Amino acid sequence: MSLVRVLFYFLSFIAIASALYAASSKNLVRSIFVFFVTLFALAGLYVLALADFVAVTQVVIYVGGILVLILFAFMLSGKETLNILQQQQEKLFSLKKLPALLLAGVFFIVLINVVLKADVDNLQWVKDAISFKNEITPNAVMIDNIGINLMTRYLLPFEAISILLLMALIGAAHLSRKEGKV
Amino acid sequence: MEDFLHSIQLLNYTVAAVALPLFAAFINFCLPVKSKWAGWVSTIAILLSCVLSARVFAGVWNNNPVHAQHVWFTVGQTEVMAGLLLNNLSVLLLLLVSLIALPVHIYSTAYMAHDDRRSRYFTYLSFFCFSMLALVVVDSLVLFYAFWELVGFSSYLLIGFWLTRNKAVQANKKAFIMNRIGDIGLLSAIIILFTQYHTFDIVQLFAQKGLVAQSVIKDGVWIAATGQMPAIWQYVACAGIFLAVAAKSAQFPLHTWLPDAMEGPTSVSALIHAATMVAAGVFLLGRVYPMFTGTELTILAVTGCFTAFMAATIALTQNDLKRILAYSTISQLGFMILAMGVGAYASSLFHLATHAFFKCLLFLVAGIVIHEMQHVKEENNLDIDAQDISLMGGLRKKLPITFIVAVIGSLALVGLPLTSGYLSKDGILIQAFEWSEGKSVLFKLIPVLALLTSWLTAFYVTRLMVKVFFGEFRLLKSYPNAKLHMHDGGLQYKLPIILLAVCCLFPLFSFNPFSYGHAWLFSGLTSLGNHEGESIYHTIIPVLVNIISVVVLYAAYVIYTKPNGFKFQQSGFLYRLSYNQWYLDAIYQRFVVKPVLRLCSATFWVDRNVIDGFLHLLTRISGYIAKLTAWTDEHIVDGFLHLMASIVQSIGNFARRFQNGKIQYYLYSMLVIVLVLFILKILI
Amino acid sequence: MISLTDFMVVSAALFCIGLYMVITKRNAIQILIGIELILNAAILNLVAFGKYDKVNNSGQIFALFAIVLAAATTAVALAIILNVYRRYKTIDPNDINKLRD
Repeated sequence: MSLVRVLFYFLSFIAIASALYAASSKNLVRSIFVFFVTLFALAGLYVLALADFVAVTQVVIYVGGILVLILFAFMLSGKETLNILQQQQEKLFSLKKLPALLLAGVFFIVLINVVLKADVDNLQWVKDAISFKNEITPNAVMIDNIGINLMTRYLLPFEAISILLLMALIGAAHLSRKEGKV
Repeated sequence: MEDFLHSIQLLNYTVAAVALPLFAAFINFCLPVKSKWAGWVSTIAILLSCVLSARVFAGVWNNNPVHAQHVWFTVGQTEVMAGLLLNNLSVLLLLLVSLIALPVHIYSTAYMAHDDRRSRYFTYLSFFCFSMLALVVVDSLVLFYAFWELVGFSSYLLIGFWLTRNKAVQANKKAFIMNRIGDIGLLSAIIILFTQYHTFDIVQLFAQKGLVAQSVIKDGVWIAATGQMPAIWQYVACAGIFLAVAAKSAQFPLHTWLPDAMEGPTSVSALIHAATMVAAGVFLLGRVYPMFTGTELTILAVTGCFTAFMAATIALTQNDLKRILAYSTISQLGFMILAMGVGAYASSLFHLATHAFFKCLLFLVAGIVIHEMQHVKEENNLDIDAQDISLMGGLRKKLPITFIVAVIGSLALVGLPLTSGYLSKDGILIQAFEWSEGKSVLFKLIPVLALLTSWLTAFYVTRLMVKVFFGEFRLLKSYPNAKLHMHDGGLQYKLPIILLAVCCLFPLFSFNPFSYGHAWLFSGLTSLGNHEGESIYHTIIPVLVNIISVVVLYAAYVIYTKPNGFKFQQSGFLYRLSYNQWYLDAIYQRFVVKPVLRLCSATFWVDRNVIDGFLHLLTRISGYIAKLTAWTDEHIVDGFLHLMASIVQSIGNFARRFQNGKIQYYLYSMLVIVLVLFILKILI
Repeated sequence: MISLTDFMVVSAALFCIGLYMVITKRNAIQILIGIELILNAAILNLVAFGKYDKVNNSGQIFALFAIVLAAATTAVALAIILNVYRRYKTIDPNDINKLRD
């Protein structure tokens, strides 16, 4: 067992365990902070998937942007709500949640089933990519390639997303204005 | 061609004569109930009718009969014709009816002047005249039947004219029911005749060589040119016609309605119940005469004779003025039927004509007397019966003209020479004797009885005359202080009675006052009758009848004028028999009316208890069924609907739960479905 | 090397956890976290498959796009949550049912 594999399992464990904790926790603050851990673990997994740029972006945007946003929202949403939420029993399994749990479980089984059936490692195009040396090797540097691709091949989606981001920015700003001023 | 035009003219006159009274009836119907003009409208109409009838009579009498008809309606192959038949018989009756109706109308204008409903009275009277005139001229048995019914109906209206009097209502009911019995007979006879001969035409049926005359009865089968049927039907038809005749002409056993019918106004009695309507039966007999042969004629003779005798005996003791005249009418009608029975066809109709005049006259006289008595009664506030002859007397001084015409009428009724009654009545008697000649003793009884009846007639007529016009005014005995203002009445009273009195004398009918054979009317009708042989009876009978009649007259005069003279025992069986009208009414009451009423009440009981009970049961059952269905409806049908509704509702409620606005629930449901699809995809 | 299947299993687990969070949580922010988990599971897949596209780098680039979009989504969602909180004084999505009939 290589180090990479050990690392992968470790990171996977951390990601899933932290995600489970975030899911089971009634405490909003805890789930938010545990979600940090999940995101970091995922970033590690991206690195293991040979996508270091994505991993970096993940850390920057998610951890630096989204989580801060979430924390702000949590802080702005008042104390009473938090109190009510905190009073609730913290139970991973409650009868109320059993259907959801079942659903998630069954969904997971189904997905695993699909994945196993699909036999993704032996897909034709994956095999082709390996044979044509189209596979990213661990020591390859992809950042310049991504940059070139973004500005050439994926220019249109890139621009569209930038406009979308602008719209989202304006929309979010508009929504979060105080009502009296509208 | 001229003949043709002539007959067209006559037919037009006839139609006009018949239609005028109907027209008058219509006008009167539209007039106010108390209108003064009603009487004159009817009178003018009947006057014109009379003139036209006279013209028609002059044209047809002893000439060729006029017969015109037109297709009325067609049933299958049978064309029913309707038309007019003018022969000696019908024009005689046409003239007679209108001639009698005219004085009665004039008389009525005065007699009914103070009645509150005189316009109705004249409506009915005109309507009656129309029906009667139409009855005598129509040529179809169907039409004949229709007018026969109309005559009965208008008579019903007139008898019950004073409809607030209970007796009048009872009387017209009785008359109507009796007449209906006869109508049923006539209708059955018509139906049988039609079945046998396939025609309603009187000419075809009853002409001299008509269908009826040619049909024979052989071995119990009634054979005619058009078909055959068992002989029993011929007897039934004859019986039906006999029943009709008996009902209309008041013959035993259906005569009892006529005395009761005197409840109507006296003028009505004069016109309808003395002269015209009751003659309809005899007229019917004259029309269908060929149907009657042999035994049937004998039955007619016996019935007529018996009726005549019975009515005469009843008339002997009655005290009601109009009732006496009514029984006298029945008696005279009996004579006519007797004459028909013995084959004296012409004499019968001759007597019908003469009798119409003198009996009408006598009724009008009675009307005047009753009218005056009514005046006395009202003037003095007396509680008497204005028609009771035992209260009258000595009126000849107070009503001189009335007295004179009454004497003429009475003599005609008795049948003394120089009057019309003598001519016709002696004809009947003579022919009755001739008929009985060579037959058994039992048959000889009939003319003898007739003879006896004519003497009885003389007696009761004298009794009536004496009690009314001679002696002292007996009313004064009971009410000495009564004031008497009596007079003959105005021209409207005098003119009709004088006119009728003239008609009661012999010159109108014959220039030879002693022989009926020379009467023009008689010879005009003999064509249909039988032989006219000279025999010893022609001299013996008149002499015998008249001598004894005169004797009886005198005897009666003596008996009733002497205040303390001979008195009849008033308790004997015969007296009671006569006074109570042979107990026929009582017998009918006991054996016909009561059983019928009992049957009625029984059927009523059955109707009420059985049929109604059954119906109530049905009602109750259907009620239960209805309740059951209502319950079913409510609980099962509605319940089913409610069930459906609640199922739908619960489905709705169930489905509503998915629409609970919880976004996570929606998501959850969606995912479940996706999952299910996935699983299905994997498994299948 | 780590096989694709391993990545897929991890991503499936994350996906299911995110799903569970989205369905059960009574708090809009936690639901948002669930959504982010699901997105991350998807991104992990993209990245894992992107390993076999060296030339075009489509997997990685779309992973980037997804991250950016997630950021935008989160921003808008948080703005909405704040508004909702202002109006209803709660961020429990089940209580926000004014549109229910």
